[in-house]
Amino acid sequence: MKKAKSTLSSVLLVCLSLIWLSPIYIILANSFKSRDEMYVNPLGMPVKFSLEYYSGAMEKMNFLRAFGVSLVITIVSVAIIVVLCAMAAWMMARSDGKLSKAIYYTLILTMLIPFQTLMMPLMQEMNSLEKLLGFQIKDTIGGLIFMYIGFGAGMGVFMFYGFVKGSLPRTLEEAAIIDGCNTWQLFWRVVFPLMKPTIITLVILDVIWIWNDYLLPSLTLKSASNRTIPIGTQIFFGQYTIEWNMAMAALMLTIIPVVVFYLCAQKHIVKGVAAGAVKG
Amino acid sequence: MKKHVKLLSLLLSLCIMMTCFAACGNSSSQSTPGSSDKNTSAEQPVSASKITLFQQKAEIAEQLQQMAKAYTAETGVEVEVWAQAGDEYYTNLKTSLSSESGPTVFTLNSDSEINEVKDYLADLGKLSFLGNIQEALLAVRDGKTVGIPMTVEGFGLVYNGTLVDVSKMTDTDALVSMIAENSANGIDTLGLSQEDYFLAGHMLNFPFALQEDPKAFCQKVYSGEVKLADVPEFQQYAQILSAIREHQTNPIEVTYDTNCGDFATSKTAMIHQGNWAYGVMSAYDPKFDMGITGLPINGNSKICVGVASVWCVNADATAEEQALAMDFLTWLYTSETGTHYMMDEFGFIPVVDGMESKSLDPLSTAVAEAVAEGNILPWTFNTEWPAGIISTDLAPITQEFFTSSMTGTEYLEALNAAFVAAAGA
Amino acid sequence: MIPFLLTVVVPFFQGIGYSFVSWNGMAKTAKVFVGFQNYMAVFSDKRFLDSLVRTTLFTVVTVAIVNTLALAFALWTTSRIKARNAGRAMLFMPYLIGGLILGYVWNYILGYGMSLVANATNNSTLFFNWLSNKQYALYAMIVVATWQMAGYMMIIYIAGLEAISGDVLEAAQIDGASGWRNLISIKLPLLMPSITICLFLTLSNCFKIYDVNVSLTGGGPANATEMISMNIYNEIFVKSNFGLGQAKAVVFFFLVALITFFQVRMTSNKEVEC
Repeated sequence: MKKAKSTLSSVLLVCLSLIWLSPIYIILANSFKSRDEMYVNPLGMPVKFSLEYYSGAMEKMNFLRAFGVSLVITIVSVAIIVVLCAMAAWMMARSDGKLSKAIYYTLILTMLIPFQTLMMPLMQEMNSLEKLLGFQIKDTIGGLIFMYIGFGAGMGVFMFYGFVKGSLPRTLEEAAIIDGCNTWQLFWRVVFPLMKPTIITLVILDVIWIWNDYLLPSLTLKSASNRTIPIGTQIFFGQYTIEWNMAMAALMLTIIPVVVFYLCAQKHIVKGVAAGAVKG
Repeated sequence: MKKHVKLLSLLLSLCIMMTCFAACGNSSSQSTPGSSDKNTSAEQPVSASKITLFQQKAEIAEQLQQMAKAYTAETGVEVEVWAQAGDEYYTNLKTSLSSESGPTVFTLNSDSEINEVKDYLADLGKLSFLGNIQEALLAVRDGKTVGIPMTVEGFGLVYNGTLVDVSKMTDTDALVSMIAENSANGIDTLGLSQEDYFLAGHMLNFPFALQEDPKAFCQKVYSGEVKLADVPEFQQYAQILSAIREHQTNPIEVTYDTNCGDFATSKTAMIHQGNWAYGVMSAYDPKFDMGITGLPINGNSKICVGVASVWCVNADATAEEQALAMDFLTWLYTSETGTHYMMDEFGFIPVVDGMESKSLDPLSTAVAEAVAEGNILPWTFNTEWPAGIISTDLAPITQEFFTSSMTGTEYLEALNAAFVAAAGA
Repeated sequence: MIPFLLTVVVPFFQGIGYSFVSWNGMAKTAKVFVGFQNYMAVFSDKRFLDSLVRTTLFTVVTVAIVNTLALAFALWTTSRIKARNAGRAMLFMPYLIGGLILGYVWNYILGYGMSLVANATNNSTLFFNWLSNKQYALYAMIVVATWQMAGYMMIIYIAGLEAISGDVLEAAQIDGASGWRNLISIKLPLLMPSITICLFLTLSNCFKIYDVNVSLTGGGPANATEMISMNIYNEIFVKSNFGLGQAKAVVFFFLVALITFFQVRMTSNKEVEC
């Protein structure tokens, strides 16, 4: 009885997911169609499955190079964001001072600013900063990562803060301090491992954001050797015409790595991590 | 632990305060224009043999890359083509120019854009081939030539010669009755599409361009001296739109792709488009005879031809880079390889006297012929109209017209109000 | 923290400064100080105020739907069923599709798909191209925004649910709590941190919505779906009124900050600290 119910539930879930995914079916189907086929047969399956638009898209975008650039930017930015935000959030959550509250609210409030209003002052400021410091920030991968850390800070701190306040037992830390841990050790050996579910979640969310982001990289990265995947994809979007089949093939190529990554990452959101630690 | 937190907080607050000061200092120093640009060129890394190029047309992106390679092979100067930016092109360009990291050579697409960034445009007056380009096509600001036309483009009623006899379309009434007759047979006579420029930009240019002095006319409209609803050309224009609303598929539901597809597969007799649309139609391999004619207001048959984009050179670039950029443009417009790319690879209609292209598509040929015969009207939408008005005001008003029972007069009054408001701002 | 200050806070304060000048955004063009004139213009801009009201309505509805759906999805995919991993991945995939492609795909569905359904069901009062009707275009925005965000929020709820210790739930089961009771009195209170986060994120994402707006409706028909971010973007980059656009952004920011501040205060007070 119970098993039957669970199977039914599974089937229902799959059905729902498929309906949910129907728009993606259109992307997939149309990435195999030529322009005239799209016109005659907008919703049906493609007549033939040829990978010509995929190989065409890969070639035009210089896919492998762009993939590498995107990968480096995403991994480095996310890693730094996670570590820095975890530290900052933990510190803020554990202090009762007014100031740490103020910083916390400043951080989350900045998440409310639409990026479009920041970009002009931001780029002008980066320019003055370049002159002040004497090295290049714009059009460098490092500079872009630096900006991602800035824009990612609000969300990261916000999520870790919620976790520390809500699910991280203070008793555990107190016990560790009695055992002779200093703050540094306490963070790395006790707090950070316990944050695993939040870390994984934040990593997933930030990876998606940075991997797909177009506007910020397009403003900073100009040289041909620095193109990310979303920048490369723009070659299919003309002033008047869009090469839909190539664009959709490119989109499929862009999202497949993220989906694979998500499937791998979600296994690590293990049940009851914190509880286990308290017991042990 | 508490101590650490306090220390951290203190540090943070210090940072905030410092940056606030920095911010204030920043904005005040930036508000004096020209104070900082003199020494920048010296500080920028000097790359003696490289220029950067940024332009909007994705249609020619690939050919442009090849051309850059060919140029490097011939002259040893590297041309780096920046990635396409699609709809974000101008925003992106403005941001990069404003932060002193702009491209060496770039394109601009309207007079209002040129006005906005004119402080960043180098004088191109010394280019040798300028004399061979019609003066009217050049962009001139404060006595300096700042932009060179990429090509000319033309739009009007693109017709299918087998479905419609344009010689019978002698005036507005003929077109209106044609729309009604064809709809009885289930055919759309004049297909429009939903995109802002196609819905409320290009076609609306006709009644403006048909005035005796379009430039002066625009000013009269902005100052309130003339009301669009009182002008016969505009009344006829509204009449045509009303007929479309009454008898045809709602343009708001038609995308550009469908628009061109319908035409290329002979489902609509005419569409209002320009020679650029051939690129989309060619996917369907249309075999019928096609051409472009004007909107028959007052019996007009002239099409609208103008310059969509001009090449500009960044005045913030080093003198050396600017010189290289000039060399590049000269090469593009005068050398054998350069002109080959312009005409055969990009498919551009030539703008330099004596240059004749043999590989134009049918629509571009029609435009080139109209230019040669002088059967053309000027563009006002990218020269006289207030910046951004098409997408922010005119398109929404036109959408309202197509989704409600607004009368033609009400429509013209709404357009009029938008023009006055935008020109006054 | 320094990156944060330099990339977000400083430009933000600069932005506030610019809201007092009349300027086209180019560094070389002189800025003219106009005091509070931009702010006066903001409050007399009917189109801006309309879109402010519209955005608020849109946000309230979307936040409610997104969070209910996301929580339901999360509960479903954390129950012990086989398809849970596949289900999660599929439900969250829409978040990966943004920009122009999103608009294109939904244009397809609302155009061709709807006419297909209309022919099959003979019901063309509900199944027609929603984008050509002012009211339905707004519904289309809500549907698409929900479609995009529900899976994203689901991930956060899943993390929250997985963090609830098994012991607590077991104990509740031994005490004989039913599934529903279990949810209301145990899971929900323990989920409060996640709820705070999700509510905040959906609130701010809905208020800031831009991508979906541009690619799906472009603000139309006849401005009926123009949201705040788009209004601001147009002011700054299309009409080149940088100062006025910044003033709008500042007004908007304080309004949203106020709303979300109360939301965070309200929900975090309900959080239980261990």
